Amino acid sequence: MTQALFNAYQPIAGAYDKLFVDGQPRPPFRRALEQLGAQTPSDFARSQALAERALLHQGVTFSVYSDSRGTEKIFPFCLIPRLIAAADFARLERGLVQRLTALGLFLDDVYGEQRILDANVVPRELVLGAAGYRAMLRGVKPAGGVRIHIAGVDLIRDPEGTWRVLEDNLRTPSGVSYVIENRVISKRVFPRALDAARVHRVDHYPTRLAEMLRSVAPVDSDPTAVVLTPGPYNSAYFEHTFLARTMGLELVQAPDLFVDKDQVFVRTTRGPRRVHVIYRRTDEAFLDPEVFRPDSVLGVPGLMRAYAAGNVAIANAPGNGIADDKAIYPFVPDMIRYYLAEEPILEQVPTYVCLRDEDRAYVVDHLDQLVVKAVDEAGGYGMLMGPQATSAERAEFRTRILADPRRYIAQPRVELSACPTWIADRGHVAPRRVDLRPYILTSREGPWVLPGGLTRVALVDGSYVVNSSQGGGSKDTWVLKGDAP
Amino acid sequence: MIISRVADHCFWFGRYVERAESTARMLAATQSLALDADLEPHACWRPIVVVSGEEDQFRERLAGGKDDDPVWGDGERVQDFMTWDTESGVSIVRSVTGARWNARAIRDVVSLEAWESINELHLWLDDGGKGEYREHRDAFYRRVRSLTQLTLGLLRSTMLHDDSLDFMWLGVLLERVNQTARMLDVHHHAFTAISQRHEVVDTALWLSLMRALSGFEPFMKQNQGKVTSDAVARFLIGEGRFPRSVAYCVESAHDRLRAIRPPAERELPGGQTLERLRLLDEWVQARRRGPEPGESIHELLTHVVDETGAICVSLGKELLGYG
Repeated sequence: MTQALFNAYQPIAGAYDKLFVDGQPRPPFRRALEQLGAQTPSDFARSQALAERALLHQGVTFSVYSDSRGTEKIFPFCLIPRLIAAADFARLERGLVQRLTALGLFLDDVYGEQRILDANVVPRELVLGAAGYRAMLRGVKPAGGVRIHIAGVDLIRDPEGTWRVLEDNLRTPSGVSYVIENRVISKRVFPRALDAARVHRVDHYPTRLAEMLRSVAPVDSDPTAVVLTPGPYNSAYFEHTFLARTMGLELVQAPDLFVDKDQVFVRTTRGPRRVHVIYRRTDEAFLDPEVFRPDSVLGVPGLMRAYAAGNVAIANAPGNGIADDKAIYPFVPDMIRYYLAEEPILEQVPTYVCLRDEDRAYVVDHLDQLVVKAVDEAGGYGMLMGPQATSAERAEFRTRILADPRRYIAQPRVELSACPTWIADRGHVAPRRVDLRPYILTSREGPWVLPGGLTRVALVDGSYVVNSSQGGGSKDTWVLKGDAP
Repeated sequence: MIISRVADHCFWFGRYVERAESTARMLAATQSLALDADLEPHACWRPIVVVSGEEDQFRERLAGGKDDDPVWGDGERVQDFMTWDTESGVSIVRSVTGARWNARAIRDVVSLEAWESINELHLWLDDGGKGEYREHRDAFYRRVRSLTQLTLGLLRSTMLHDDSLDFMWLGVLLERVNQTARMLDVHHHAFTAISQRHEVVDTALWLSLMRALSGFEPFMKQNQGKVTSDAVARFLIGEGRFPRSVAYCVESAHDRLRAIRPPAERELPGGQTLERLRLLDEWVQARRRGPEPGESIHELLTHVVDETGAICVSLGKELLGYG
């Protein structure tokens, strides 16, 4: 079968290709790919340019921190969707529900009885000594009983096609607005392909999010929920406004809120109004200067008192950073076994914890084969890609690891799977590496997985880094409702 | 009921959109006047700078500190200043940036369509607008006007008519009172000084002012072609059916504020601002046919401009969270 758009497509040797196998579309995706492939490259280039202009006009942008002029850019994206077969996603969904259930129990435990530390399943000093562990929150039960209201879990697929969890984001995961906006564009540009493929919708996410937020309110009738943003200069500001708008909630900044008698209020043109649920998109260090940063003028003084009194729910709960700490990650499979008495459904990437003597000895001897990550950094920063690094960079990391082993973990570099991607400056389709971030909402009733997710793509040829701050883009993710025979 | 900070952004969003539109309209009308009337160039262009309130800045930065520098009559320099100067508080580019910045701070409040139209204007000024300005000046001003007018229209046709829209409209109306009053004041002063004996020039000047305020056709309808300085002043001050007259804007602003802060609800903040605006409304209504005996048009308009300024300050303190 010859297809105009995919005619010259050559998958990367040794990487799992999402859409093609042996030069043919993977069977579940055949119908969708026939529709997509019927386009010529020049049709495609035109659609791509139109879609990018629409995003810019709508202001679907992120702010570039390094640019003092407050420049905004669109998050680069590729119109060619990433498809996931129904059976694949069903397994993923079960694995994510299991994982989030265990992580929630872990947080309740470490901020409560600490049974898992007594049982020595997770080393006590690794938890209590972590920057993400907030000792002052021990014994505080969150209103509504939920701690990980919104999670974004980063997954990759290895060369055998096995999903592996790369990291859990349990504090303020971002990106879901792009999932929804990318679908709006797909609907406009590929209505027939989307129809032929029978894809799960994603646009009900804000409704589910609003329901979840109401479900954890400390009052039964008519709770007021707000979205708390650091403001227009934050790189994810578009998403904050998007979520507030699509949920119909007020978007507030810290100075709009104040605490009186352990209750939270928002300042309005008609005087104070009570707030019951805060979906915060600010870092927890800036939630309450009375508690986290006495030197800071940012935040809402007294907020943590109101939280501890059970008068306001905060999503996600402060203190979650201990559960998505990169040094705790290697212990998640043991947590699942400990709390749920089940075998983990999802694989992880084998990880060396530099705090352990034997792991550290191995890591410093094998830096040329490993990816080293600082446990307290994100966004692709503080990272050593061993196989591509210079010997000077490796020597520097060796020194850093030996000086502060608690701060580092290392993993073998896993070959990321690839997906056909439009390369605008060459006008053709080529494979680029991708990951997947599904979103999980947890209400009082338990976790729910959005059937979709953010596919991030490393647009630079040969790159493994998908972060938007480092040349990454995104793709629409089509989760199929059923797989063709 | 809305968050005070949000009310502040709404108010300034309205003011900046209105300001961008009014500057574009004024520059287009003056350009046309400069081609028609036999006027000294500085008599055409200087009033524009004076109305904008940036006279001192223009004198210092462009006219070498002098009042007789030829730059005051240089239409290109004045237009550049009023369109692109990023330090002038009234230039089109500053107003559009300000409108867009405020709208972006309340993206969850401004309707998507209204946001897109102001964002499109902002992006265009940074890109295609520069060439359009050089090559098709009139089309440039038309585009600025049509996108700002589209924005204002979309606010009313796509947003909930609640407090946030009332604050935006309050911003639009108070900005407009200010613009009309200052333009009339400056032109009234300048025109009566230069053209006492040239009836044709006189008429051209007044009609140009009416065009700058989109009032040409309504005025002609109202006055059947009889153009005198008194008739123009009466129309722009007192014609309650003309949406840019002082009387109309003050009365409508008063209506908006009453919707935001009903007079009967005395426990709510905003009482002093409401009372001050009520008094101004009453004062202007008493002068719909012109100034009181012994009062000049200049005095009347100065009172309007000063009171509007004081009302904005009071509004900031009581309702917009300025402390």
